[in-house]
Amino acid sequence: MKRNRLGKAGSGLAAIALLAGMLSACGEPDSSKPAEGADSSEPVQLDWLAYNSYAQPDPNSNIFKMVEDKFNAKFNVWYVDAQQWNDQVNVKFAAGEIPDVLQIREQIPKYVANGILAEIPEEDIQKYAPTYAKVIDEYDASLWNTVKYEGKIYGLPAINLNGDYAQSTIWRKDWLDKVGIDKIPETLDEFETALTKFRNEDPDGNGKKDTYGMSDYAIPYVLGAFGMPANGTNYVMKDGKIEFAAVQPEMKKALAVLHDWYEKELIDPEFITGENTGGYWADSHAFYNNRIGLTGNGMFYHWRNELFDSEDAGGEQYQNFKKAQPDGEIAFGVPPVGPDGQSGAPQWGVNSVPIGISPKAAEDPRKVELFLSMLETSFTDYDYYLTVFRGEEGLDWKKNGDGSITKIKDESDANASFKRGAQVFNIMENPAYGKKELSKLYEFGESVKTKGYPPVIAPAVDSLSQYSGNLLKLQEETYTKIIIGEQPVDSFDTFVRNFMDNGGSQVEQDVNEAYRQMVSE
Amino acid sequence: MKIKHRSWSDRIYVTFAYTVLVLLCVSIIVPMMQVLTVSVSPVEVINSYGFHLFPTKFDFSGYQEVFRKSIIWTAYGNTIIRTVLGTALTVILTFMGAYPLSKKSLPHRPFWTALIVFTMFFSGGLIPSYMLIKNLGLMNSVWALVLPGVVSVFLLLIVRNFIAALPESLEESAKIDGAGELYILWKIIMPLSMPILATVSLYSAVGHWNAWFDSMLYIQDEHKQVLQLILRRIVIDGTLDPSSGVTDSMDKPVNTESMKMATLVVSILPIICIYPFLQKYFVKGTMLGSVKG
Repeated sequence: MKRNRLGKAGSGLAAIALLAGMLSACGEPDSSKPAEGADSSEPVQLDWLAYNSYAQPDPNSNIFKMVEDKFNAKFNVWYVDAQQWNDQVNVKFAAGEIPDVLQIREQIPKYVANGILAEIPEEDIQKYAPTYAKVIDEYDASLWNTVKYEGKIYGLPAINLNGDYAQSTIWRKDWLDKVGIDKIPETLDEFETALTKFRNEDPDGNGKKDTYGMSDYAIPYVLGAFGMPANGTNYVMKDGKIEFAAVQPEMKKALAVLHDWYEKELIDPEFITGENTGGYWADSHAFYNNRIGLTGNGMFYHWRNELFDSEDAGGEQYQNFKKAQPDGEIAFGVPPVGPDGQSGAPQWGVNSVPIGISPKAAEDPRKVELFLSMLETSFTDYDYYLTVFRGEEGLDWKKNGDGSITKIKDESDANASFKRGAQVFNIMENPAYGKKELSKLYEFGESVKTKGYPPVIAPAVDSLSQYSGNLLKLQEETYTKIIIGEQPVDSFDTFVRNFMDNGGSQVEQDVNEAYRQMVSE
Repeated sequence: MKIKHRSWSDRIYVTFAYTVLVLLCVSIIVPMMQVLTVSVSPVEVINSYGFHLFPTKFDFSGYQEVFRKSIIWTAYGNTIIRTVLGTALTVILTFMGAYPLSKKSLPHRPFWTALIVFTMFFSGGLIPSYMLIKNLGLMNSVWALVLPGVVSVFLLLIVRNFIAALPESLEESAKIDGAGELYILWKIIMPLSMPILATVSLYSAVGHWNAWFDSMLYIQDEHKQVLQLILRRIVIDGTLDPSSGVTDSMDKPVNTESMKMATLVVSILPIICIYPFLQKYFVKGTMLGSVKG
């Protein structure tokens, strides 16, 4: 409900933001602008919102001092509620308060139209942050498309290293052993065999037929065996055209399989309300409680069952599982391979929140240089990166012989490192350094890496925000009803017509139009 | 007095009423017990299926974490300050505004009343309010939480009607005895208005205690934020799946369920202790002005 209200407020933002901009332009002089003939050795003032704001950092901390001295800068770090980010910053933007450097958590065209984002010239990026630009080029050059609008760059793409790894496929290893399967299932048929045995052969040994194969977290993996983990209003790229994944004919076949599995009682009937019954999203209570033997959704670092040293207890969800089932074992599997050889788990994608600068920062070449040099330094200076990302050496982490680090947990305050200024100035994660500092973790991640379907990078269009609520509801309802047999599988065709008629075609048309505009030079 | 013979319809009615009341009580007590139990339970118990109404194993790590989080206590202090300050101002200003409006001798009384009632139907909206607060220089201070809603038209009208219903002859007799206007206000009207002022202060205090949106909007400094905002942040932490577009970092520590519930207990305990003693004013207050004998 609130989202709605603020959504409306957001649409009114444009006019008000412009008005506020005009007012402040002819009002009192902006104090953040350097006075005429200012000494160039004066520190550059930056209003800073290019961080996650998990906790309010202390501006007198050593990390602030270090960064300010190193770059001759002075930071005014904004603190906003990390969970209410857009609600809070939209009001500020509309009132004409705009930081110099910010995370772009809304659609770029919207911000550009409201005068919140300024272009970052490509020459400047190449001049002040060449290493960064090269890293993006090598990682995925198409990331630049995500920050372009009408051919100009309005933000710097950021990489989420974890988005390079598909969501994990987790089996109850002890159950597989018990029902006599010694190879981790790989194909859809092998999955069905294993899940059937989980249902019928009492793998938890309590003498009751109270176990199922899987629940809702594994459903996208089955859809993935047919080419795409259709979920809500996500897209799929077909012959260079963006289409809705949920209405693809492959999904009809996938739903037929899921319905069949439901009839055979392989899917927990409680999948409708979900296997997570509250709390952290990666927890699967059905899995912890001996109800199902296959789960997913979490990442390798959630379920890590390989221990690195004697004090290590594994990933958070692995620990929770072990506490619930001390004798249980888990194994990392692969998403099932479908009849046409396709497979994959849902994947977040490496595309992370981009960073942009506002017009008031773009006017001042020193600010642009400062911001880009800070970014460049975190891609070229490992120790600097560790300090701005992880916190103070000795307090928050210590370095091992091979260059990797061991994090030191502050028992008194889980957010201590954020308060000391960690993760404020790193601007974005550096994937190469990320793998270096946590080398063991990412080696493990590589060892259990499976195929995945990263989301299609598509521009957001107004028609999507207009229709997505209804489309989402329609998709979820229809899929659920088909799986539980309330509707025949053939009703999928009617669903496709409904979906397209109720905004689906409109969105597809708009999104392809916008996509062409985004990638056009 | 004892009623010996009850008719069937009476019995049915009483049974029905008690059943509904018992169900109502259960629906309130069960979630409370769940919260209390989860707050003192280890993670394996919390993650197991079923209701958790009585603790089977104890683990106070949730409370330990809460008591270490100094921000909760700072926020507690801020909430108390805003509640006391806000309530006091509301009561004083509402009373002082309502008294003249209740006087028939006030020149242009319908005009002033209409002017005030008018504001009930229109509001500036979120962004203009924000700009107003900002330009008044109230940002990041407790005044941004207290001043914008300091006089509620609704409460003002209730108080006005209450005072207007006091017999005019009381005032006249005071005047005959030589009392001045201020003396009448202070010694005659105010003591008689105590019930309605208690109601106003309760409404205002509860509103202040529960408010969080204004704190999120106007307060930038974490150490000046109110309890409900901090509480909200702690409780919804980690429940949203990053594939839904929420950013998630594997480096960010997530609050455990027991810690979330422990925070809830700590923050509602004082209210639970005070509430039974205040409740009667609530009941009285809503009855005021309804029927006059």
